[in-house]
Amino acid sequence: MKLAILSESPADEAAIERLVTGVLGERIQRVRPPLRARGWPNVAQVLPAIIRHLHFNTDATGLVVVVDSDDSVVHAADHERPSYFHPRCRMCQLRAVFRQTTKKLPPAHGRKRLLSGIGIAVPAMEGWYLCGRDPDVTEAAWIDGQSDPTRPYTRRELKKRVYGTERPSLQHETACAMREVDRQMRDLRRLEYDFPGFGFLAMDLRSWKAPAVNNS
Amino acid sequence: MVIGPNGSGKTSLIQALLRLRALAGLPLGTAPSNPSGRMGGSAEIAWALAPPFDHLKAVMSCVSETQCDFLQIIRTAGQGTLSAEEWNGLRMRLRSIRAFSFDHHAIAQTADRESHERLSSDGGNLAAVVAGWREQSPPAFAELNHAVCRILPEYDSVEILPVGAAQVQLGLRLAEEQVVLAAEHLSQGTLYVLALLALAHDPNPPAVVCVEEIDRGIHPRLLREVRDALYQLVYPDTGSAAKRTAGQIIATTHSPYLLDLFRDHPEEVVIAEKKGSVAAFSRLSDRTDLAEIMADGALGDLWYSGVLGGVPEAS
Repeated sequence: MKLAILSESPADEAAIERLVTGVLGERIQRVRPPLRARGWPNVAQVLPAIIRHLHFNTDATGLVVVVDSDDSVVHAADHERPSYFHPRCRMCQLRAVFRQTTKKLPPAHGRKRLLSGIGIAVPAMEGWYLCGRDPDVTEAAWIDGQSDPTRPYTRRELKKRVYGTERPSLQHETACAMREVDRQMRDLRRLEYDFPGFGFLAMDLRSWKAPAVNNS
Repeated sequence: MVIGPNGSGKTSLIQALLRLRALAGLPLGTAPSNPSGRMGGSAEIAWALAPPFDHLKAVMSCVSETQCDFLQIIRTAGQGTLSAEEWNGLRMRLRSIRAFSFDHHAIAQTADRESHERLSSDGGNLAAVVAGWREQSPPAFAELNHAVCRILPEYDSVEILPVGAAQVQLGLRLAEEQVVLAAEHLSQGTLYVLALLALAHDPNPPAVVCVEEIDRGIHPRLLREVRDALYQLVYPDTGSAAKRTAGQIIATTHSPYLLDLFRDHPEEVVIAEKKGSVAAFSRLSDRTDLAEIMADGALGDLWYSGVLGGVPEAS
């Protein structure tokens, strides 16, 4: 399957590619050259152009977008209600961009539309990397901590825990990210449970496996 | 503005232009040095020419992948042979092509007062060139002085500092303290701005100015001023009091911020990409989906995202 990945760093991209492969259960081919955004809100700004580019100029099946939540509102179960949109939730925002951009596109390259997979790493990708290794690091812990002046951890602390430094080189960051993802690849259910921001991405990806329903 | 990943052919494009300049210095119609060794097929570089020479094209043919040694001027419109007058006029323009890759160490050095005719490729004789303008082209010096002081308001005067009898050095006078800082004490970015502004205010500008990494060392918020100054070379009727012939600028950059400034002029943006061993250049305005793409974000962001191409394959 050919797909594109949009995230905020090459290290994240490498890890996301491995995770996506694990969920889909098949080898994937990445669109080249790789896509990249300059952090939030740039992701949301360039996403329509990227969707149109992939739809018309490539034969990619889908686009996977993963961004850090940082300090934004974390996507919750009540956001899943029909027609609900939380303006400060990045999942809601990215889904809205996908919906609005793809609904008017004519079919191209033998597909009706580009499939979407959206993940939100709470508060950052390092949270996902620590899943199963550090039981205190979960999406629920981060949400609980938002109402507590003494947060359970900061994004800088997460970096330190994953990379051993707050200023990792890209090479070191990539190696650590891949090591942590590989550790979890045998069973991704824990990552889906502890980090629903990944769980929603996994659900999107599994829906891709039923193209007759989703892409016809 | 040429954008593209490292190794995509941006510098090679400039080198090809310099080759055109070199070949224009030879007598036209010189027989190929080795006709049997001439490459066939695509091994030639053809240049379309701007008015008043737009009825001609310059064709360089090559003996190898890296060496072109034969220049022909071909008439594309009208009839007859190339007149000596036409060739002399065109040759003068082609011979004035210049390429610059500024070096702040060189710019800061003292320069021989006599070396004022043309700015050297590294900017090493900038002080002599500016000193020459002060003597021989006072309006150009005044325009440069005005532009420098407006863009860098901490200074109020460009100074020429004599070093012995035969050499000069540039300096800038601090507006508040009225102290002159010699070039060696100026920041790298300030020296690059000085050199770019000198290019922009050259009273006898080259036909084509090539500048590599034009944003180097310059704060993103100053890039608009730099772009505007260089536009004066291309559109001399706007913003400059001096009467000058319009020239052309070919600049390279890796700055999304500088690219943002070309949003309204995608025809001025060329994307370089390496496809195998071939460098391919395409004008941004040639994209059929450009309007839709540009509706969604800053041009620099779109380039960085990879949607426009011209990004590294492996990162």
